[in-house]
Formats: sequence, C-alpha cells, structure tokens
Amino acid sequence: MDEQNSISRYHDVEFGDELPEVRPDVSMATVRRFGKTTGMTFWRFTDHEKARASGLPGAIVPGIMSQGILVAMIHRWAPDATVHKIDTIFRAPLVVDSEPVCRGVVTDMDDENRTVEVDLTICNEEGETRVLGTAVVGF
Amino acid sequence: MDIAELKQKWAGQTFDTVSFEVDGSELVEFALACGETLPRYTDRSDDDFQAVPSYTSRYHGRRQLPEGFPVDMEQSFDGGKCVEWQAPIRPGDTLIGRSRIHDIFEKTGRSGGMMFIVHRMEFTNQRDELVSIVDWKMIQKLG
Repeated sequence: MDEQNSISRYHDVEFGDELPEVRPDVSMATVRRFGKTTGMTFWRFTDHEKARASGLPGAIVPGIMSQGILVAMIHRWAPDATVHKIDTIFRAPLVVDSEPVCRGVVTDMDDENRTVEVDLTICNEEGETRVLGTAVVGF
Repeated sequence: MDIAELKQKWAGQTFDTVSFEVDGSELVEFALACGETLPRYTDRSDDDFQAVPSYTSRYHGRRQLPEGFPVDMEQSFDGGKCVEWQAPIRPGDTLIGRSRIHDIFEKTGRSGGMMFIVHRMEFTNQRDELVSIVDWKMIQKLG
C-alpha cells in the first residue's frame, strides 16, 4: 500500500472499512529466519518431512509469527497508528510454503479514545481460516 | 474438578520471574521476518526505533504453571495469545517478566466441558515501567 492510500487520522476510518489484503511470505527460508532469532527452530516449524510423519500437514508457521504478520498488515494500512492490543487464536495449522491471505475489517470505533477494533483472519489457499483475532488500534 | 476452588487457590500469585536483555538486531530480524516495513521497527538508525508491539509474545518463563499445580498440561492445547502494548521497548532495555495464573474458567461446547487457564506474563523495563502484558490461553478438555 503506498503512502497516499494509507490511513493517518482517526477521521479517515469508517466502520466496515477493509484493510488491504496482504499475502505474507511464509516460505521455509523466512520461517527459519524467524526461528533463528526467536529460538523456535523445532522440526515442526522447519522440517516438512518430520512434521508430516508426526501427523501434521507439513511444517507449520509459529503462531507468534502469524501474530506479527497481522501486526505488520495493520501498520501498512495505518503507519502512524499504534497497535494497543492484538488477540489471536491459532485455530488450525498454517503450513510453511503455503500462500495464505491476511484480511482485516474495522468492526468497532471509539470516538472518545480514537481507537478502532479490527477483526483479523489468515486463510489458506482453500479459504479456510487458520488464524483469527482482533486488534485495538489507536490514532 | 472444582474450577472455582482451583482459581481461588492458584490465581494471582507470581510463580516465576525472568529477565531478558533486548537486542537490537533481534528486533529487526523479528520485524522483517513478519513482513514489517516501517523504519521505526526495521531500521536501527531510526530515531524512534523500537520492538514491534507483539514482540514480547516470543518470551517464555522457566515454567508454564506453578509447581504443584494439580492439572496435567500434557493434554492441553494452545488457545491463543493476546499481547497488550503499554510502552516502547528499545534495544538495550532489560525486561523483567513475571508470570502468574490470571484466570481459570470453564466453557461448555458440543463436545463437552473445557477448562481455560490464562497464563499472564507482565513485562517491566529497567525503570520499572510496565511495557507489555501477554496472556496465553491453555485449554484442557474436562471429563
């Protein structure tokens, strides 16, 4: 999203606004990069074969990385805003090397505090929700 | 299992305290791997350089639950994480993370009862300012 289309003020937001979709990079290289810095280098995140052998659909993206991806999506939409709170539920595995889509929609607005609530999802290629959550964003 | 009794006995007490040094290069790597593009999170030379708001969700204490807690968490699953940002976290900060059970409650669904244990970790910096609160929900089937 370029700067001209991003949101900078509370009054630019409307109830029901959709955040621009993001297709995050969840390649093995990026997940390993995330794992290297956070210590999350377990095979269930970094090795498809071992993950499948254990019954998973493949290596999975760490939940806290999915959470970070959603925060980054909010920042692209509203670069000057502050994410005060993000609550995420890791409903089902998000597979490494897949092509998920992140979406967000404004579901509540607080004029007094100049905050908005955003419902968030990460879906896989089949449109199934893997991660869902809500965020409170301040302007 | 009496959930109210369990909560009364175990919730609220700090059972683990850990300290963490905040490293600037790790802040950048975390942010970039998540697709972050704003310089205040990705560029160490930015005047307002800081951790992304969800950064503290990466930290763990030395134990998940208090010693002697009477529930076998081997059978539990991750119910999600909630991060509340309170103040910027900067490179060089020393954070203290204090863990406690914040809440224990029960919900009943189509497949029966489930117990939710909310593990809360509160982070303060070297000036004793609260910078972040992370709630981690652990879920266990009952019965």
